[in-house]
Amino acid sequence: MNDWIAIGALALVGLLIPLGMMAVSYLLRPTVPETSKRATYESGEIPTGGTRVRFNIQYYTVALLFLVFDIETVLLFPWAVVYLDAVESDSVSLLEILGPMLLFVAILLVGLAWAWRNGAVQWAQTPRQAAADSDRQ
Amino acid sequence: MVGGYATAPLQNGDTILLPERIGELTGLDGFGVGGELLATFLAAFVIGNLMLAMTGVAGPWAKRKITAAFTDRIAVNRLGPGGIFIILADAVRLLSKELVVPENADRPAYDLAPIVVAGSALLGFAVIPMGSGVHLADPEVGLAYVFAVSGIASLGLVMAGYSSANKYSLIGGLRAVAQNIAYEIPLVVTGMSVVIFAGTLQMSEIVAAQAEPLVSFAGLDIPRWYALVNPFAFVLFLVANFAEVGRNPFDTPEAPTEIVAGYQTEYSSVYFVLIYLGEFLHIFLGGGIIATIFLGGPAGPGPAALGIVWFIVKIWAIFLLTQWLRSAVPRVRIDQLIEIGWKGLLVLSFANLILTAVIVGVLA
Repeated sequence: MNDWIAIGALALVGLLIPLGMMAVSYLLRPTVPETSKRATYESGEIPTGGTRVRFNIQYYTVALLFLVFDIETVLLFPWAVVYLDAVESDSVSLLEILGPMLLFVAILLVGLAWAWRNGAVQWAQTPRQAAADSDRQ
Repeated sequence: MVGGYATAPLQNGDTILLPERIGELTGLDGFGVGGELLATFLAAFVIGNLMLAMTGVAGPWAKRKITAAFTDRIAVNRLGPGGIFIILADAVRLLSKELVVPENADRPAYDLAPIVVAGSALLGFAVIPMGSGVHLADPEVGLAYVFAVSGIASLGLVMAGYSSANKYSLIGGLRAVAQNIAYEIPLVVTGMSVVIFAGTLQMSEIVAAQAEPLVSFAGLDIPRWYALVNPFAFVLFLVANFAEVGRNPFDTPEAPTEIVAGYQTEYSSVYFVLIYLGEFLHIFLGGGIIATIFLGGPAGPGPAALGIVWFIVKIWAIFLLTQWLRSAVPRVRIDQLIEIGWKGLLVLSFANLILTAVIVGVLA
């Protein structure tokens, strides 16, 4: 049988197991609606404000950086797979196999160094946090 | 390769995949395509339930016992020998809890997130060779596939965090995804250094490549496990893996002292069980990947039929390590987490990749 049909079968099982557990739970569990039971949990306090809060810009910058490096890994995989065969056959020199990849990784590492210098991988602080940090030192 | 490879049994001789084996055992292979499909489904069902049983033992029982041993307590001991029947009691207890849905929840996403988390964690086990013929599928892209599907869980965590309409959940979901993407690259790049040794992405071949002896020592063969060939990559991969599955010291997404329980704060009843299950499945999937590409998969002393035993021993060893770290290592802060990932592990993993490539190139 095809490998991907087997993987599809496991995906089906992976869907059926949670659904089955949900069905069993639906049959077993009680439903006792009460007022304020469904209120948003904020450690027992009355919830204040909306829940779509503002958050650190850092989550966005690291996600952008991730996109670049993720595509890089995808492009490196084929190289890694053929590397051993290419090295063992004598038709190509080591420099020809290794050189382009080293250049490719080097370009991206320069990119990382640039992002590093510009604080893309340094946790962004509010001015108040930064001031508190410099006080402590 | 498209048609021919798919129907042919595995090329390297004695390994037969589980669907075919079940087809032969039950006689279903005599019923044409329908029989084969049913055998495949049965095989997937066996794998799914095997992993479910492992998490069932790990979650309600082993985790408690291990943590208790570390903190000098006894933990569950009333039901059955060593309290093992607490698994049944807990299953009934958790499934029969009332489901409280927060009032502002985004309904379809809130309900789908637990299914995504639990279901996607199961997918990776399809290509892991567990020994004794328990191996569902063996595509040529095995390792790339397993990295790809283990990334789906991040989607479920963000869905859970955002749709719960809770500040803790939102921050937890964001942290989870920031952490997963920061450590995904070191994980994959370190995995790639193994591919350079093995020259293939196919899981069965990666395992086969580790079967040869590295050195013989007083009549004892030390196997060519990649953890022994390249211990540096092994350590890097372990660290990145712990971050990827969100275990200590990288459990910032659900840091109980800061954000209650992160993305799972508003989940109760069966939904909580599913998310919890997904997390445990992920620990075992991480263990399975480590065992396969660094620890020789199901290899071990004794006859080949013992393969599954050795495989389970290895993934439980990784599980034990996660629990050890949970008891012994303090949590890192989110800013430290990002810095360790992007400034430390990423650079080290590329250094490892380049060094491995150069050494393999020079030695060959």
